[in-house]
Amino acid sequence: MQERISSREWLERTRTSGDVDAILALVPYAQRIGVSAMIEPQGRLYRLAPQQDNIGNVLLPALHGGVVAAFMETAASLELMLVARAVRLPKVIDFSIDYLRTANLVPTLARCTVLREGRRMANVQVCAWQDDATKPIAMARLHLLLAEPPDVDSDAIASHA
Amino acid sequence: MAIPTIPDERSADSWKAAMTRFVQVIPHTRGLGLEVLDVTPPTVTMRLPWHRDLLGDETRDLVHGGVLSMMLDTLCGSAVLCGLPVPEVCPTLDLRVDHYRPGLAGHDLLGEARVVRVTESMVFIEGCIWQREGLPIARGIANFVRLGPRNTPAGFAAALFGEKDSLESGREI
Repeated sequence: MQERISSREWLERTRTSGDVDAILALVPYAQRIGVSAMIEPQGRLYRLAPQQDNIGNVLLPALHGGVVAAFMETAASLELMLVARAVRLPKVIDFSIDYLRTANLVPTLARCTVLREGRRMANVQVCAWQDDATKPIAMARLHLLLAEPPDVDSDAIASHA
Repeated sequence: MAIPTIPDERSADSWKAAMTRFVQVIPHTRGLGLEVLDVTPPTVTMRLPWHRDLLGDETRDLVHGGVLSMMLDTLCGSAVLCGLPVPEVCPTLDLRVDHYRPGLAGHDLLGEARVVRVTESMVFIEGCIWQREGLPIARGIANFVRLGPRNTPAGFAAALFGEKDSLESGREI
């Protein structure tokens, strides 16, 4: 039986091991656009691979703004899955992005800051840059619902219902 | 709110062909098979065919939220072109997306965007995505900066309407 991202047990185990790749393996669109994560001394960094398929403007060429948005949204969700005080399943409620500079066809990095984590809702800010961390290409903010993940048992019951 | 007047007199068919060319030149949307269903200035309607790569959680069969941002960005960016007297290069200033309900696996995504207001320096757009009519999954608003004819490459409109081959040849960069 396939494991569920949404189950409390799976989330708990993944948080303990810090295994972002295990989560990303279950997120097809994140794989398609080439999202990965790495641990740095100052925290977790997310990376968007400079793939031809991510181009949105052939004349410059530049990355698709919507792909950059999808990358930053993915980063915020992953970050909350891993660092929220309790085991929670983040669901994006709203998302806003300011495009600050052209996103060239080079690796894009992002760092997340959880500005507020309440009991039900979190606010996360995401900063993305390319060659120079002091020159962001985009800034994003999100509200995410911190949903209570179902236990494996209740999942099993639901899937048999 | 006054609906912007569109002085351009091109036919719906030529607009549809132009927008189709536009989304097919973009590698990401070409790869996903994004299809232009209708262009009735100032509104653009598109369909993103269902594909497993659109999933954000394959164990729960839900569409990735980022797919909706990507589609809204594309829809709004396309609507900009048909809202101007003459197509101009207009970078996206910002985009805001509200997620109303989850997108479900196995169903195409339908979306439309329309020009709300054009000023000397800005184009304001709003868009919406749904799978079942009347049940919106996400709504987006995006603002675009007009760079004006001076910063728009000569032949931009001609390329868009297939009157020259320049956009197509840009693909080979």
